Amino acid sequence: KSITTLRNQPWRMKKKLETLKEAQEFIEKFEGALGKGKGRKFYAYKVMMLKKWMKFKRDFENFKTACIPWEMKIKEIESKSFGSSVASYFIFLRWMYGINMVLFGLTFGLVMVPEALMGKPYGSMPRKTVPRSESSTAMDFATLWDFGGYAQYSVLFYGYYNNQRAIGWLKFRLPLSYFLVGVGTIAYSFMVVIRTMASNANQEGGGDDTSFNFSWKMFTSWDYLIGNPETADNKFASITTSFKESIVEEQENRKEENIHLTRFLRVLANFLVLCCLAGSGYLIYFVVRRSQKFALEGLENYGWWERNEVNMVMSLLGMFCPTLFDVISALENYHPRIALRWQLGRIFALFLGNLYTFIIALMDEINLKLEEEAVVKYNMTIWEANLYNGTLSENSTRPPIEVDPADVPRGPCWETMVGQEFVRLTISDTMTTYITILIGDFLRALFVRFINYCWCWDLEYGFPSYAEFDISGNVLGLIFNQGMIWMGAFYAPCLPAINVLRLHASMYLQCWAVMCCNVPHERVFKASRSNNFYMAMLLFILFLSTLPAVYTIVSIPPSFDCGPFSGKSRMYNVIQETLENDFPAWFGKVFSYASNPGLILPFILLMVLGIYYLQSTSKAYKAANIELKKKLQNIIKVPDLILTFHFRSNIDNPNSNLSPLMTNVFCLCK
Amino acid sequence: MVSPAIALAFIPFLLTVLIKYRYYILLFYRAVLVRRLQDLITGRSREDRAFQYVFTHALPGNAESILDTFDHWCTKIEYLSNIGPKKGKVLDRLIGDMAPKTVLELGTHCGYAAVRIARLLELGARLYTVEMDEENGRIAEKIIRLAGFDDDTVELINGHSEDVIPQFRERFGVDHIDFVFMDHWKRCYLRDLQLLEESGLIGKGSIILADNVIFPGAPHFLRYIKSSGLYQYRIHRATLEYFPGIRDGMAELTYMGTT
Repeated sequence: KSITTLRNQPWRMKKKLETLKEAQEFIEKFEGALGKGKGRKFYAYKVMMLKKWMKFKRDFENFKTACIPWEMKIKEIESKSFGSSVASYFIFLRWMYGINMVLFGLTFGLVMVPEALMGKPYGSMPRKTVPRSESSTAMDFATLWDFGGYAQYSVLFYGYYNNQRAIGWLKFRLPLSYFLVGVGTIAYSFMVVIRTMASNANQEGGGDDTSFNFSWKMFTSWDYLIGNPETADNKFASITTSFKESIVEEQENRKEENIHLTRFLRVLANFLVLCCLAGSGYLIYFVVRRSQKFALEGLENYGWWERNEVNMVMSLLGMFCPTLFDVISALENYHPRIALRWQLGRIFALFLGNLYTFIIALMDEINLKLEEEAVVKYNMTIWEANLYNGTLSENSTRPPIEVDPADVPRGPCWETMVGQEFVRLTISDTMTTYITILIGDFLRALFVRFINYCWCWDLEYGFPSYAEFDISGNVLGLIFNQGMIWMGAFYAPCLPAINVLRLHASMYLQCWAVMCCNVPHERVFKASRSNNFYMAMLLFILFLSTLPAVYTIVSIPPSFDCGPFSGKSRMYNVIQETLENDFPAWFGKVFSYASNPGLILPFILLMVLGIYYLQSTSKAYKAANIELKKKLQNIIKVPDLILTFHFRSNIDNPNSNLSPLMTNVFCLCK
Repeated sequence: MVSPAIALAFIPFLLTVLIKYRYYILLFYRAVLVRRLQDLITGRSREDRAFQYVFTHALPGNAESILDTFDHWCTKIEYLSNIGPKKGKVLDRLIGDMAPKTVLELGTHCGYAAVRIARLLELGARLYTVEMDEENGRIAEKIIRLAGFDDDTVELINGHSEDVIPQFRERFGVDHIDFVFMDHWKRCYLRDLQLLEESGLIGKGSIILADNVIFPGAPHFLRYIKSSGLYQYRIHRATLEYFPGIRDGMAELTYMGTT
């Protein structure tokens, strides 16, 4: 048939013969697929399976991309108005959400669910029941909102858990699981953060910022992810402004500056910031002591304001002090990037100081509760003796007395108290953030948009104008919130769950707020460089948050009347107990040999040497990198000289118009 | 009811507001509070007081001296929203570069800008200045005459700009205005610009300089000039007159026409 077709073509004979030869070769090659020769069925089948497999792989890739939560939302934010720096906050938020999901899975699946399903139900033991004195208010919304009443005596907090060694038909070792989940959450978080930091370090190209300033600015300022004409105009204007600023900076560098005055102003600014930090620390300490006083006198006598004083003060300070630091830093006259670093450092110090003051005040309360324990123990023996005196006078046997668990006097439970404080702090922080968004962004935008018609000055250009999205403030807030979760998760297993809900809601609320009420930044700066900085801060916070938890685990005895470790002298004794009872004898021996200091010290020495070796190799690689960069720089020296000369000549004549050159270059970029 | 601790927590907020908006607070104090106080004490209006001061302290016939005296009064004694020395330099440069024959000023107020423009006009050029308020007009007239400009150079028109502009052509026999300076109510910038366009008084190459487009601001005006495509515009960024801390700007428009 193909020969007939060929014959009918209006070609030269030579061409026909060539085509015929090609066709014959083709048939020979794909004989199997075309149905001639042996193994054709198998070959056809193979080809069909291959095609199906490729299609399946492609669909699966599409499915995987579609499955990444909120990807479309983030891309929308990035391209519509805001560029990559705001989107990077939301990517960070999503990553945090992932970590919190894993933590939630661990605490929920391995701690809360086993106790709820297989442990003793509510009301069967004193520690699982609301005391008689509180039962009248246990269901009130106000009590539940404060996490008292039924919320306190449930799987949400430490105090509910029973110290029975193995529960249910699975013989689930709950105390061991509780301890290991606590340690595991911290270990997992460390691992994830360090892994992300390492992969970020790989990607970081980074340029040498001090040389070839104008070249870098000219060729790398444009953000190709912008998809909106208004944003493009904005970006154009901001790049022009940044060029003007660079020129002014070069100008100023030539000017003689009064070093002594600048230094004095900087010292003064730091002194003012220190005063503010000290003031806020003292205020928090004062407020926590006051709340202890209220607690001693009974919280029922005080209104809502007194009960939530601590949380309100911490949230308010966290909101107002950073703006004060911003204003004070105007004295210092730093380059904007350095000023941003100082600002972030100060906010960090503020949050840290507040958090640690809070913890120190909590420690005081824990000590108070420990003292109370001794008193309560004594009272309990008296109460039991009274019970027995009342019913039986048998001295030999003591049959169990039927007492309603709600009536048994309780020992104080400092772990639940700590858990409750952290939960309340998280909730109040969340509320503050949401209310700030609603009032500071949404109401402000409504005001500016609708009252602008009848106001004497232009509300959109001048004060108050639309809000910009405060990236660094939000990222720091997120990091510190996570720090609080890490601190409190051991004592309140419900914290990761609450945080998952909070992050979920935050994502939607902030995405909406950004698109609806915020305007793009005037000066847009790259987010990628700060990424590792935020990761480093997260790592630091993780380390600092685990310190208090570890300290309390190791040095404070658990309450005798609540929690999975009640009755032990220290919480980590559960590990020793498990090793003795659940593992074969030789395992315990091996472990005791392995934990011998004689073995551990050489191991630590080996690790230190390993770190030193890796450090020196990485230094060598970095040096080689810098050499290569230098060689590269020598190549691009000439074009940069031309540009720098052009811009320097504008320094002496600042009024001349930059626009022609700019318009030309940026028309190309657009 | 509210504990003192929570009230103390608001102190950083108050400090921030005070420091960040110190210039606006100062402006409010000088422009509103001091003015009301002086009105109550002396019983005369602010412009009257300004004229008194200039009359007693400036050299008659010397435009520079009058401007300097005005600046001195506005910085040291009270606040008046003239164009000020820094933005005035931009105005001077534009007038000097263009050398217009006919200049229209909307919003004379005290006559500061009128004196400023008139001293740079060449022979035969004329400045028409429109003032809505009669009192201000009288004082401005006195100041302009004090500076030594007669009727040939500066013509003061009393009336609302929306009434004057449509009748301008017939009343004064002027066909084409080279330079327009707008410094009256910001809400009227857009309306007057459109009136000027309709009446055909501005032609290709006419320059319009609008003051205070950023603070207090004329947002509709700016939006119009950006979107209409009839103008090439440039915004001179400066600071509000006599207040180096408050950002402001002047819009310089060059009429391109529909071609």
